[in-house]
Amino acid sequence: MAADPLIYVLDMLVFIGIFSLLAISLNLEYGFTGLGNFGKVAFFMAGAYTYALMIETGAPILVSLLGGATVAGLLGGLVSLPALRLREDYLAIVTLSFGEILRLFVKAQEGFTGGVHGIQVPAAFTAFVASPRLFGLANVVLVYLVAGVAFLFVQALINTPYGRVLRAIREDDVAVQVLGKNPVLYKVQVLVAGSFLAGLAGGAFAQYMRFIDPYMFLPLVTFYVWIALILGGPANNWGAVLGALVVEIFNRGTRIAKDYLVLPVDPNNLQFIMFGVLIILLLLYRPQGILGESRLRTPAFRRWEHGAADR
Amino acid sequence: MEIDLGQIILNSLITSSLYLLAGTGLTLTYALSHFPNFAHAEFITFGAYAGYLFMDRPDGSFPAALGSGFVGAGILSALSYLLVFRPLTQRRASLVHVMIASIGLGYAVRHAIGETWTWGALSYQVIWSPYEIAGLRVTALWLYLILTAGTIALILHFFLTRTRLGKAIRAIATNPELARVTGINQHQVTLLAWILGASLAGLAGVFRAADTRLFPMLGWDILLPVFAVTVLGGIGSFYGLIAASLILGFAENFGVVFLTRAGLSTEYRMMIAFLVLIVVLIVRPKGLARW
Repeated sequence: MAADPLIYVLDMLVFIGIFSLLAISLNLEYGFTGLGNFGKVAFFMAGAYTYALMIETGAPILVSLLGGATVAGLLGGLVSLPALRLREDYLAIVTLSFGEILRLFVKAQEGFTGGVHGIQVPAAFTAFVASPRLFGLANVVLVYLVAGVAFLFVQALINTPYGRVLRAIREDDVAVQVLGKNPVLYKVQVLVAGSFLAGLAGGAFAQYMRFIDPYMFLPLVTFYVWIALILGGPANNWGAVLGALVVEIFNRGTRIAKDYLVLPVDPNNLQFIMFGVLIILLLLYRPQGILGESRLRTPAFRRWEHGAADR
Repeated sequence: MEIDLGQIILNSLITSSLYLLAGTGLTLTYALSHFPNFAHAEFITFGAYAGYLFMDRPDGSFPAALGSGFVGAGILSALSYLLVFRPLTQRRASLVHVMIASIGLGYAVRHAIGETWTWGALSYQVIWSPYEIAGLRVTALWLYLILTAGTIALILHFFLTRTRLGKAIRAIATNPELARVTGINQHQVTLLAWILGASLAGLAGVFRAADTRLFPMLGWDILLPVFAVTVLGGIGSFYGLIAASLILGFAENFGVVFLTRAGLSTEYRMMIAFLVLIVVLIVRPKGLARW
């Protein structure tokens, strides 16, 4: 563990930010549109590796981040396309499988991804690398800038007419079709956007870690994001952030427990057993999460609300 | 490298047999409970560990290990169905929620296994020495596996077409409402299908562990091809599953030969299953057959 408590806090903040960004991206897909993306980690990974490879060639950080996000976004649309006309379980199977396949692919491509040995990611903030505190701080700023923009983007998007179509697709995509909208088209766009955001998170992650290998991108990451979203409250961006915060604190707690507590069971195993049981209990007794779905914020809706208050 | 056609065909049959045993439960529960159970991987793994109770010594009895894996996986599946999936269904949980629950259950079980038997790889202590028959490298284990899968396929054929329970399973899978009005106890039949299917997955786990090694990721590592055969066969279709297992078994083993020849990593083996999955979804999402 880091000896400097400030660095520990900064490190934690970075991870909470990256997790929040992933949870927001899943929220756009699942929370608002009802798409069960079970391979979130694949797009996170695509973003991370693309970022690493681009920055290696000397591309500026912003270009590399956007490059990683674009590759992730395109993959997201492409991979989900065959499954989108079918029931949602097919999308789950395809995305989950794709996560595993992409990881195998990266593992086998020793040449440019470093395979199992991973790759070093050249530091983008060269000025700050000398001081771990400044480096941490610079990363906190970067991650929260990106996550903040994503938050505002999704928040604005879901309150537009476009966003209402997404919610309608989630509730009943046949009804949407009857109204002359093509649900598949919307779903592809949402998966591209969601994967784009996951790719951004991947780039920020690679940038911060300065080293990535395939073992950082286990299906576990996807599971964490799902726990965060379901715990916090699907269809609520604040819920996504809250969930990410809780999951990360839980994670840290286990690691601390491992160092300081003598338990009869391995804390790592215990953590997963508890996470597994927790998610099942949540789905049984409180599937809407802690916060529940956020309310619509449109001028018309607000007028109606005020009108209702006057009466 | 010389292509040894006989050996590749034998290897293909071994792979196909494994997929058939592992996939039967998945396709049955998928059809009856209408969701893909990702914790199916852990039924396979748990069966393998239950078998280890008899395989931790060189003079252990392999039939006893098979029996133990069969029963162990069945019990785990019954508990999963009764404590997790049935309550969720009764509360009208959405499809995505049930799938997430199955992933959560999978993690819990996998780590409980890791806690009990450690995360390191174990080996069954009974050794199967290979011998040569007509130029083929064969072990008795492989022959047992092919024989078991063949026998099970035959038994299941008669079970599904001739017995009340088998017909009830098919009835619920094809038309649940009609099945209910004809007086079929849907809950009981579904529970039995969950037990039976997972028991077969447990057998697959024992064979897999005997042939390779035993570790908590054993089931997860073959889950993708098992899903591929389930979708290729057509969800709920047992005959489709048999055909799909053969197709993927042969595709993988011939594919590996070509990969090696092309100088590519055999890690790409999994991609064959993924490719099959994608092509099926594009071309024929219903899969090969309906019952």
